[in-house]
Amino acid sequence: MQSPNPISDYKYGFHKPENYAFKSKKGLSKSVVEEISYHKNEPEWMKNFRLEALDIYYSKKIPQWGGDLNHIPFDDITYYMSPTDRKVNSWKDLPKDIKDTYDRIGIPEAEKKFLGGVSAQYESEVVYKSIQKTLSAKGVIFLDMDSGLRQYPDLVKEYFGTIIPPVDNKFSALNSAVWSGGSFIYVPKGIRVELPLQAYFRINAANMGQFERTLIIADEGSFVHYVEGCTAPIYTTDSLHAAVVEIIVKKGARVRYTTIQNWSTNVYNLVTKRMRVEEEAVGEWIDGNLGSKLTMKYPSVYLVGKGAKGEILSVAVAGKGQHQDAGGKAIHVAPYTTSKITSKSVSSAGGRTSYRGLIQMLHSAKKAKTKVVCDALLVDDFSRSDTYPTMDIRHNDIQVEHEATVSKIGNDQLFYLQSRGLKKADAEAMIVNGFIEPIVKEIPLEYAVELNRLIQMEMEGSVG
Amino acid sequence: MGPNGSGKSTLAGSLMGNETYKVKGERLKVKVDDKDITNLKTEERAREGLFLAFQNPIAVPGVTVPNLLRTALNLSKNPPESKRAVNNPALSFSEFNKRLLTTSKQFNIPQEFLKRSLNEEFSGGEKKKLEMLQAVMLKPKFAIFDEIDTGLDVDALKIIARGILELKKNGTGIIVITHYNRILKYAQPDYVHILADGSLVETGNKSLALEIEKNGYKKWTNKIL
Repeated sequence: MQSPNPISDYKYGFHKPENYAFKSKKGLSKSVVEEISYHKNEPEWMKNFRLEALDIYYSKKIPQWGGDLNHIPFDDITYYMSPTDRKVNSWKDLPKDIKDTYDRIGIPEAEKKFLGGVSAQYESEVVYKSIQKTLSAKGVIFLDMDSGLRQYPDLVKEYFGTIIPPVDNKFSALNSAVWSGGSFIYVPKGIRVELPLQAYFRINAANMGQFERTLIIADEGSFVHYVEGCTAPIYTTDSLHAAVVEIIVKKGARVRYTTIQNWSTNVYNLVTKRMRVEEEAVGEWIDGNLGSKLTMKYPSVYLVGKGAKGEILSVAVAGKGQHQDAGGKAIHVAPYTTSKITSKSVSSAGGRTSYRGLIQMLHSAKKAKTKVVCDALLVDDFSRSDTYPTMDIRHNDIQVEHEATVSKIGNDQLFYLQSRGLKKADAEAMIVNGFIEPIVKEIPLEYAVELNRLIQMEMEGSVG
Repeated sequence: MGPNGSGKSTLAGSLMGNETYKVKGERLKVKVDDKDITNLKTEERAREGLFLAFQNPIAVPGVTVPNLLRTALNLSKNPPESKRAVNNPALSFSEFNKRLLTTSKQFNIPQEFLKRSLNEEFSGGEKKKLEMLQAVMLKPKFAIFDEIDTGLDVDALKIIARGILELKKNGTGIIVITHYNRILKYAQPDYVHILADGSLVETGNKSLALEIEKNGYKKWTNKIL
């Protein structure tokens, strides 16, 4: 007998009564998009950007590769809502309703520890924000995307949609049409932001799509680490999360973007993430996918400047009824560029993981180097793992390495750990946590702790 | 002691509750002191104070020895007094680290080893020392050492034997599975048992081991050795 899967009924699975100032009617139409733009009081160019994106969205078919996207109830989704008209600046002014929700996922502790600033998104709108003085003194901009557009329209206009244009894919077009929230970050030349910037995202209404949009610009020689973590309550019907993250890493700069995605298991999580990495700059994605019904996400680095470096660390855990189709892409445009993709996936209780990756080396990518390592771990005999690596190499003077392994938790490993007093579930969790450890050690401690705890819960649920 | 394939490791695995082996027959019982553990799971046997040092300890990538030991010791934290292994009290983090440091020094285990993955890319002798480290840290009621002396140089052998003697001094009952007399030189056995073709065929003292060294197992088995 299977006990209930903890990923589908874990402790964050609660939701608060809805309390919204504005909510668009269900389904998507030109008037819904116009309404969103009007409600946000946006400049004309953004309204037009949205409307053009909507046309592109309509013109594109639903992708038939990767996971099964044919059952997303597009007409049943509310594309925009704002929880309150009022903005708050400190924790104590936050509405009790929302504060309760955050208290349960431990945001105050996180804030105390090492926040450079908090931008938490409740539904589609950022309602809570505090930016430490140090950030603004350094000239660092850290806003929600809507405020970013209002306060820095020229800067936003210059970069918005340049890394991931609406035509890129159907879901980037959808996001471009209805986006709301997300973060806008600008780090000036030579500035290092030592503490990670964090944002928390939640969705809390049945059939509520969440379409946040993030834009990060790291000017020459700067450094920033952005951390995004998601926990979401459970709904009864399917839900959609289609985000777009665009990052520009200028000459000599370094950006690290860490995500731990933990949507409830009815969410379709379809995210387009891309970095443009310029000369001698470094772009890093750390991407953890635990929750959702289906995730399709392939963080990309476009290495456009000489000597640019890109690194992608991807960890995916699929439990019962879940499909994690994750991986990464590295496009080598310039010479002497290097990339590394490390993927670790765990399938248990019949879950499915896929590694899907692309390495492209153009004619201009002389002396480029890449290394791809993808390891899959199967916890039992009825879970599944696939690898779909693609390499498109157009230069002779390059170096490519690819390693892939699939392993299954062995009885002898379990016996060894059990002989030291660990229950089978604890032994499995220890093996799984050990397997993903090379990636987990790269993420901030509290996320690592939560990740380990979730894996522990997952294994307890999968042992009969 | 016993010839290859006589069932020594099978016995060790059965005692520890390895599910690969089925213990058949009403009369067959495994007991720790007076407690019948025949139907207990491996981890429950461990918590009753049984310990097995493996002949070929399996690698577990990403898991360190301190990580495993801390988990194992925490698990034995809360059971009622009767269920506790000998001298196996809960340790605070700093107490644990202190004890781990002293114990690893005692067995000439470099600190760096404790940061590495369990049994991964260690030499045979290093793995055996790490098994002994775990035994001494966990202080079991009974410990089975399955060929702990195989592949050890003479210095390592002395260190391992010292570990056995220390455990014994502190009240742990010891079973050593071995092919060689040399470990018995350092760790004085009370009994030597001979296992052949799956049966216990003879029990004696240290002199029995010397006899085997001289004449082999011909006397106890029909198998072609």
